[in-house]
Amino acid sequence: MDPAQYMKALAELWGQGGQSFMATQQNLLRDMAERFNKAGENAPAGAPANLFDPAAMTQANEAFGRLWSSAAELSQTFARNLQQGKEPDPLVSGLLGRIFDPSAWFAGSEGMDAALNRLAQGPRLADIWNTERQMLAVFNAWTALRRRSLEHNTVMLEAWLAAARSFAKLLNEKADRKEALGSWREVLALWVETANKVLLETQRSEPYLKSQRELLKASTDLRLAQQEVAEFYSEMFGYPTRAELDDVHKALTELRREVRALERAGRDRPARKARRSGAARAAPSEEKPS
Amino acid sequence: MSKPDAPVQIEPEQAVAEAAELGQKLARGAELFAKLRDDEVKIATTPKDEVWRQDKVTLHHYRPLAPVKVAPPVLIAYGLIGRYTMADLQEDRSLVRNLLKLGVDLYVVDWGNPTRADRWLTLDDYIDGYLDECVREVARRHKVDKVNLLGICEGGVFTTCYAALHPDTVKNMVITITPIDFHADTEQDRLGHGFINLWTRSLAPEDIDRLIEAHGTLPGEFMGSVFSMMTPMRTLMKYNLDMLEVMDDEKKFLNFLRMEKWIADRPHHPGEAAKQWLKDLYQDNKLINNAFVINGRTVNLSDITMPVLNVFAKDDHIIPPATSQALGAKVGTKDYSELPLPGGHVGVFVGGKSQALLGSGIAKWLAERQ
Repeated sequence: MDPAQYMKALAELWGQGGQSFMATQQNLLRDMAERFNKAGENAPAGAPANLFDPAAMTQANEAFGRLWSSAAELSQTFARNLQQGKEPDPLVSGLLGRIFDPSAWFAGSEGMDAALNRLAQGPRLADIWNTERQMLAVFNAWTALRRRSLEHNTVMLEAWLAAARSFAKLLNEKADRKEALGSWREVLALWVETANKVLLETQRSEPYLKSQRELLKASTDLRLAQQEVAEFYSEMFGYPTRAELDDVHKALTELRREVRALERAGRDRPARKARRSGAARAAPSEEKPS
Repeated sequence: MSKPDAPVQIEPEQAVAEAAELGQKLARGAELFAKLRDDEVKIATTPKDEVWRQDKVTLHHYRPLAPVKVAPPVLIAYGLIGRYTMADLQEDRSLVRNLLKLGVDLYVVDWGNPTRADRWLTLDDYIDGYLDECVREVARRHKVDKVNLLGICEGGVFTTCYAALHPDTVKNMVITITPIDFHADTEQDRLGHGFINLWTRSLAPEDIDRLIEAHGTLPGEFMGSVFSMMTPMRTLMKYNLDMLEVMDDEKKFLNFLRMEKWIADRPHHPGEAAKQWLKDLYQDNKLINNAFVINGRTVNLSDITMPVLNVFAKDDHIIPPATSQALGAKVGTKDYSELPLPGGHVGVFVGGKSQALLGSGIAKWLAERQ
C-alpha cells in the first residue's frame, strides 16, 4: 500500500475509534453525574451513597485500554510495513513498534497526569466508605479527574494523529523525489523530528493549556476532598488533623524566624555600639570650627 | 533491491547487520547493567566540609585543589528546584572542580530536603534569612566585609535579591541561567522555549494557592513532570533509545546514570515560597518591575551596585536568554558583563565546550575584580 494511504487509513481508523470511545465515556460520565445529582436531591443527609457502579467504570477503563492496545497494534503494523518487501526482523519490528507506539505518547505526556494521580490518590475508597458525605465529594472529584484526564488525552491523541499525518506526508514526498531513507536510524530521526515539532506546537496551543489546567485543578480538588475525609477520621479518633499540624508548623516557622532575628540583633548590637562610639569620638574634631 | 518509489530502502544485509549490532549492544548493556550498583553512580564527589547549619540548611566549604588566588571566597547558591549537585556532577564535568583548580575559594549552600513541615517558609526566609546567615558566616570565617556570590537558576534570583538588599556585603555577583524578566520569553518565538513561563501564566493564581493548600509544597515530582513536558520526544525516547545508545559503553553509561541520579533528586519546594515564585515572579513579573518585596523591603535592581557577570545558555529552553539578559538594563552598576555560552540549561554545566568556558570565564572575571 502507498505509505500515505496507509498512514491516512491508520489515522482515520484510530481517530474514529478514539472519538467513538470518547462519546461512550462522556455518556457514561454524564449518566453518573445525573445519578449523583439525584442522590443528592433525594437521599437524607448521611445516607449511604450506594450509587456508584464500579463495573461500569471498570468497563470504561477496559475499553480505554483496549483502544490504546489496538492503537499500539496498528502502529506495530506501521512499523512492520516500513520494512517493505523484506522479511520483518522481529527485533527491529519490536523496537520500531515501541518508537511508533502512540500509547508511549500517552504515557510520556501523561507524566504530569501520572504524577498528579500519584499525589492525589491517597486513601483508597474502601477505607473511607462510611463517611458518606465526604466520600461522595471524593468520588465526584475522582470522577472529575478521570474526565479531565480523558479530555487531556484526547488532545494528545489528536497530536499523535497530526504527527502521523505529517510523517506520512514527508515519506511520500521523499518517495516522489526518489529519495529514500537508508537505515532505521534515518527513519527514527525523521519520526522524532516530526513528532517533536507537533508535540511542542500542541503544548503551546490553547486546548492543551486548558486541559492541563483543568487536570491540575481536578487533581487538587480530589486531594482536598480526601483531606476532608482524613480530617473527619482524625478528629473522630483523637489524632492530630492536617490543619492542626499545619498550624503547629506555621507557629514553629514563625518562632524560628523570631529566633533568627533576635540572634542577628544580638550579633549586630556590639558592631552598632562600636560604630556609635567611634562616631562620638570623631564628632568633636568634626565640630571644630574651620 | 527495493522498489525505487519505496520511502524506506534498507538492504536485507544492512537490516541483518543493524539487528545483530543491536542484539550485541543489548547483550553488552545487560551485562553492564547487572554489574553496576547504585553506590557506584556517584555525584558531587568533590571533598567538602560542613561549616554551619541552621534548621535544614547547611553551608559547606570545599577543600582546595590549588593555592587560593581569587579573594574573597565565592558562595554558590542553587535554587530550591533541583540541587546544587548539578555544579559538581562528575569529576570531568564539574564547575566546582574547575573553579577550585583555578584557585577560587568555594562555599556552597545546601537547602536540604524541605517537607510539608516547611510549608510556611517564604523566599524572605531563604534570601533574607538563610542566605544572609551564610554570607555572614563566610565573611566571619575569612574576616572580610564582603563575599562573592554565584547564583544558579532560582538561586540566581536569590542572589540578585540579596545583592539589591545588602549591597554592602557583596563584592561581586555572578548569576548563571537566571530568570529576571519572567515575561521576556515572548520576545523570542522559539518552539519549545519558555514553556514554563507560558504554562504558569495559563494558571489562575487560585489554582496555585489550592495546589499548595493540597500538598503543602510544590512537589518535586510535579516540577519533574513539567520539565519532562518541555522535551516531549526526548522524554519518550530516553529509556529505550538514548539509553540503548550508551549502555554498552561503561563510561557513557555511567554519565547517563549520573545525570539520571541528579534528575531523580528533586526536593519539594516549600509551599509559601513556591507561591511567591510562581505568582509574584512568573505571573506578576515583579522582580524586573522593582515591585518584589522581601521582608517588607522592595527589591530595587538599581541598588545592585557591585560588578555583575550574567552567564546564560544560548539554547536554554527553560530560562530563555532574554529573560536573563533583561538584568543589564536595570542594575545600578556600569560594570555589567554577559557571558553567553553554547548549550542548554543543563548543558552549560555539563556540556564539554560550555563547562570549560564557564569555569575559566568566571574565575578570570573574578580575578580581575579582587
